[in-house]
Amino acid sequence: MRYIKLPSENFERFFKSLEAWGTLYAPVKKGDIYSFQEVHDPAEIALDYTRTMLPPKKFFFRPREAILRLKNGRWEEEVEAEPMVLFGLHSCDIHGLKILDKVYLNEPADPYYKSRREKTLIIGISCMPDEYCFCKSLGTHFAMDGFDLFLHELPDGWLVRIGSVRGHEIAWENGELFEEVTDEDLANFKEFEEKRAKAFQKELPQEGLADMLDLAYNSPVWKKYAEICLACGNCNMVCPTCRCYEVCDSWMDAYSSVRERRYDSCFMENHGLVAGGHNFRPTRLDRFRHRYYCKSYFDPTAGYNCVGCGRCDEFCPAKIEHVKVLEEVRGSLQ
Amino acid sequence: MSENPYQTYDARILEVKDLTSREKLFTLRFLDPEVEAKFDFKPGQFIIVDIRGFGEFPISICSSPTRKGYFQLCIRKVGRMTKFVHKMKEGDVVGIRGPYGNGFPMEKMEGSNLILVAGGLGMAPLRSVLWYAIDTGKYENVWLLYGTKAYEDILFRDEIIHLLKHGEAMNCSVKLAYEVESPSCIYLEQGFSDRVCKGVVTDLFRGEEFDVENTYALICGPPVMYKFVIRELLDRKLSPGRIYMTLERRMRCGVGKCGHCVVGTSVSMKYICQDGPVFTYWDALSTRGLI
Repeated sequence: MRYIKLPSENFERFFKSLEAWGTLYAPVKKGDIYSFQEVHDPAEIALDYTRTMLPPKKFFFRPREAILRLKNGRWEEEVEAEPMVLFGLHSCDIHGLKILDKVYLNEPADPYYKSRREKTLIIGISCMPDEYCFCKSLGTHFAMDGFDLFLHELPDGWLVRIGSVRGHEIAWENGELFEEVTDEDLANFKEFEEKRAKAFQKELPQEGLADMLDLAYNSPVWKKYAEICLACGNCNMVCPTCRCYEVCDSWMDAYSSVRERRYDSCFMENHGLVAGGHNFRPTRLDRFRHRYYCKSYFDPTAGYNCVGCGRCDEFCPAKIEHVKVLEEVRGSLQ
Repeated sequence: MSENPYQTYDARILEVKDLTSREKLFTLRFLDPEVEAKFDFKPGQFIIVDIRGFGEFPISICSSPTRKGYFQLCIRKVGRMTKFVHKMKEGDVVGIRGPYGNGFPMEKMEGSNLILVAGGLGMAPLRSVLWYAIDTGKYENVWLLYGTKAYEDILFRDEIIHLLKHGEAMNCSVKLAYEVESPSCIYLEQGFSDRVCKGVVTDLFRGEEFDVENTYALICGPPVMYKFVIRELLDRKLSPGRIYMTLERRMRCGVGKCGHCVVGTSVSMKYICQDGPVFTYWDALSTRGLI
């Protein structure tokens, strides 16, 4: 890894220079929530944000998008992608994108996701956990790859990790804005990371988790929480790794139609429905458990499908806590 | 051909045949010779039919890949999409993409006995296996155990009756169980008293013995059927690894993206569209929610 330093006074110029690489999006505060929005002035950015409501997946896998347009009886493909710079992603969201990549870039790759991913620069930023974060337990609190640049907060600027050739090019073209990293900077970086590690309030011990959850398939805890759950699907929408979609054709006029896809939720009753009316997940308990198992699936090559961002907890209207559910299910085994 | 996996290709309906009051058999062929030449499939694979502007649905191919130049779909009228398809006529064009899924491991099973167990519409994907096995002649004996509601519901009735009469010459033995009595069924039962009976598909196992070391069972039917058929096979000591089942889900994408066919738990997660739709009974034992 290559490390450089961006002094505070150069931050604005650095941020402005990013516009040359694509439309700039960064976290801003909107009312009570944070959201990734197009930004022109660095003063708009909420550098100390906790988490946005919708994760950055919305830029690659859109809440609603046209994938094909019917013209003269044939589908025209609409694979457009504008260059984007996503500024200020937290480590958990970078890991979230890597999990989505596993699905959407797996052959045959999704052309819409792929073209947007290829044309987007990812610039990470360090963060302090709040009461919902449990990324440290899942090992997603630090990104080793999946970004072009990663900015770590220092008392007098930023320690920048360069994660890709494109990241290197940005640093190179703005060479006058950067300095070499000093021993003092490294000491500050270390201090920040140590302070951060101690700030986590929530923990999900991974040891044997996948196995224990599988064994606890019939635990009464699932039922208890399924009854509290409102099945609204909020957790699916805000999850950085939820990627189910539904497809719908709609007519624009008598001659042209559009095939759209939109986020789907496994809490909806028709998610497991097949032709003829058989439902493979007929009860809320089935659907509740399905989501938790999907998030807790342990892929030996890639880890869990959950990155511990805390969105499903923060935006759950029934105040169900992900870690608490899993801990109780595991506890019910004894 | 397009790089876009969601693009569909024109296929013309060459023939529409009523199989029963609910099911029709559609014979199709791609319009583009290049697409037609590249289209190859395995028994047990499925495709996605695209009625442009109305939607898509997944369906298994019911013809054998040994029969070149066309492919066939057996479509039951159950919902909005299939109702639309049932109105289509010879010469109409639909979009097709695929084939998808793993299909049955036909090469691995060569030289063995095959027991095909079909319930109702489950006959459709197994018909592909049946004719593949007969056409290639690479399998020892082929049994087809077919459970149907009534005489009128027998899919591919002409073929089934033909195989009842002449199957022996092709190393193929057909057995049929029906639930609703009718003169036609009784007539059939009188003609083939050892192979046609009133009852359910599991009744057809009665008195059957087979070499468990050299036999594979292939099952397709309504979800409720699997449990009972598998019990019969396990009673005869057939290994769970030799029991293949093809499963149904409503896949939107067919390429492992949309998430509707995901099953499993924290230790085992499968996409039915890509890891399946053909699974062994061992897969079902090790992945919860599969059947």
